[in-house]
Amino acid sequence: MADVILEGRDLKKYYPVTKGLLKRIIGWVRAVDGISFTIERGKTLSLVGESGAGKTTTAKAVLLLEKLTSGTILFEGKDVYRFSKSQLKTEYRPRVQSVQQNPWSSMNPRMRVRDIIAEPLVVNTKRTKGQIRSRVLELLDQVGLSPNQADYYPHEFSGGQRQRIAVARALALNPSLVVLDEPVSALDVSIRAQIMNLLKDLQDQYNLSYLVIAHNLATVRFMSHSVAIMYLGEIVEYGEAEELFERPLHPYTRALISASMLTLPEDEDKGVEPIILSGEMPSPLNPPPGCRFHTRCPDVQDICSKEVPEVRVIGQQRIKCHVYAEQ
Amino acid sequence: MSDILLQVENLCTSFFTRAGEFKAIDGVSFYVREGETFGLVGESACGKTVTGLSILRLLPEPAGRIIGGKIILDGTNLIELSKKEMRAYRGKMISMILQDPMTSLNPVYTVGNQIGESVRLHQGLRDDMVEDEVISALRLLRIPAPEIRIRDYPFQMSGGMRQRVVGSIAMSCRPRLLIADEPTTALDATIQAQYIALFKDIQKQTDVAIIFITHDFGVIAQMCHRVAVMYAGKIVETAATSTIFKAPKHPYTAALINSVPHLDRKDDRLYSIEGQPPSLLNLPPGCRFAPRCHDVQEVCHQQQPPTVEISDGHSVSCWGVK
Repeated sequence: MADVILEGRDLKKYYPVTKGLLKRIIGWVRAVDGISFTIERGKTLSLVGESGAGKTTTAKAVLLLEKLTSGTILFEGKDVYRFSKSQLKTEYRPRVQSVQQNPWSSMNPRMRVRDIIAEPLVVNTKRTKGQIRSRVLELLDQVGLSPNQADYYPHEFSGGQRQRIAVARALALNPSLVVLDEPVSALDVSIRAQIMNLLKDLQDQYNLSYLVIAHNLATVRFMSHSVAIMYLGEIVEYGEAEELFERPLHPYTRALISASMLTLPEDEDKGVEPIILSGEMPSPLNPPPGCRFHTRCPDVQDICSKEVPEVRVIGQQRIKCHVYAEQ
Repeated sequence: MSDILLQVENLCTSFFTRAGEFKAIDGVSFYVREGETFGLVGESACGKTVTGLSILRLLPEPAGRIIGGKIILDGTNLIELSKKEMRAYRGKMISMILQDPMTSLNPVYTVGNQIGESVRLHQGLRDDMVEDEVISALRLLRIPAPEIRIRDYPFQMSGGMRQRVVGSIAMSCRPRLLIADEPTTALDATIQAQYIALFKDIQKQTDVAIIFITHDFGVIAQMCHRVAVMYAGKIVETAATSTIFKAPKHPYTAALINSVPHLDRKDDRLYSIEGQPPSLLNLPPGCRFAPRCHDVQEVCHQQQPPTVEISDGHSVSCWGVK
C-alpha cells in the first residue's frame, strides 16, 4: 500500500447565488463537484485545468481556507474536519504550507525578509530569538539566497528571488505537504527553470509532498508524479503522469496537450494539425446535462448529452468519458 | 526587396528618469514583409513592448523618447512625421492589440461604440454606415451574432470574446501592420489555440503583416514566420522560426529554448540560466549576456559584438559565432 499523506474524498464546494434584499438563493455555482484524489508522501500531484475549473478552490479547501459543502479530507488517515481547534493548530496547519502564484503580492512590502521568513516560526513555535535567527539563515541558504540579504526588503529582489523567499517561508515549519498554486507562472522563462529545479531538489531532500496547481502542461510534466485534469469542477482524467502524457484518453486532455504542443510551421505542412475546441467553458452555475464536456467535444455522441459518464478505470488511469472508456 | 513593409534601423529609445537614462532599446534593426508574422520574443524588460510603442510613437512622454534610428513604413520615416501626420497613420496603417482586454476596453461603453470610435475617426464615415462597418469588423473576428453583441458591454463577455473585440478594433480600419503585444497571454490554453488559428485565417484573408510580441516560445512556433530574440534592449538573433528552434546560434537563444520543459518527454532536470538580466541603468560595456554566458571569452566583456549574417536571413550578435 502506498504511503498516502492526504486524501480527498468526493469533495464538493457550491457557492450560493443570491438575489434581492432577502438574499434569496436562486442557484448554486458548482465550483468543485465531487472530486477525489490522493497525494502520496514525497510525491507530487498536479491539478490542471483552465480558469474556472475549480483548481484553486480545491487548493483552498486543502488549506482549510474554504469550507467544503461536503466531502472528506483525510490527512495521514485522520479526518481534518474532526480535528479540534488546538489539534489543527499543532497537527495540521504547520504541516501543510503554501506558496502563492504572485511573489509581488504574497509578501508584506514593509517587512524585512528576515521577519517574513520568521513569521511562521514566531506564530507557531516557542523558539528563542537566537534560534529563530539561525533557522532563518539556514532557510535562506536552502533556497539559494545569501545570509547577508536577510535585512533587505522584498522590493530589492527580482521575481525569482522573491519566489525563493516565499518557498523559504513555506518550509520554515518543516511541513510535510506544500500547496504550490501556480508557483512559476508569474516568472520569466529563464527564471522558471531555476525555481522548478529548486522545488524538485527540496522535495528529494526533505521528502516533501506537493499539491501543484498549474495550467502549463510542460511544467506539470516536469514536476508531477500524478496528474488530475479538471474541467468545470470535475476531474475528467486522473492518473500517473507519464502514462497520462504518453497516452491521454479523455478528449479534453488530448485537446489540452495538443494546444500546448510545440508545432513548428513545417510540422503543419506535414499535416500535424492542432485540435482546436469550439466554444468556451460553460458556466458552472448551469453546467450542461450529461457529460459536462459534451458541448465542446470533437467526438460527441448521442449518449453524451443524456447520461452522466461513470468514472472508469483503464490501466492506471481513471477517466470520465462515454466514448474513450470503451477502448 | 520590394515586399518589405516596415524597416526599422538602429532604433534607440530611452527613458529619462531622476535615476538616470534607461536605455530600453539600444540599436534595434529588423524588417517585416507584407503579409508575414514577425515574432519579437524575450523576457520582461528586454524592450519588446517599447519597440512596439516606438513604432506607433505612443511612448509615455516626456520620459520616453526615441533618440535615434529610423522607422520606415512603406517609404515614410515615421520618426520625421508631425504628431498630426502620425495620427493619420495609426489605426489606418498600423494598429495595436494589448495584452489584457480588461484594461484596454472601456467598461462603460458598449463594444459597438468602442469599435465605432476608431471607424469614425480614421475612416470619416457617416453614423449610419458606421454600424455596418462595426458589424463586419466583429464578423471578421468571428464573434457569433454580431448584430446583438454590438450592444454588449465588456463585462457581459468572456475573456476570449473580449480579446476578439480588441482584435476587431485593431482590424476595423484594415491596417497593413498590426502590432500584437502578448495578445494571448491572458487567455486559457484552449481559447489561446482558437485565437491563434483565427489570426492565421485573418492574415490569409487580409494580408496584414503582424509583429507578434510574446515571451512564449510555443506561441512563436505556432504563429510566426520569422523571429527576433531580444535581450536587455538588443536583438541578439534573428532567423526563420524553425531555424531558431532547431539550430539556434546565440547562447542566450539556445539556453532559453533549453530551459523550457518538454511536453513530449520527461525531463529530469531543467537547464537553467543562472543570474538575471543586467540593469538597464548600468549596462556592461561588452556583450550584455556575457555575465551569464557559458562560452564567454575575453573580448565579450570589453566590446559589443557586431551583428553578423551567417546565412540567408539568419543573423547573430555574438563573438563566439564566426
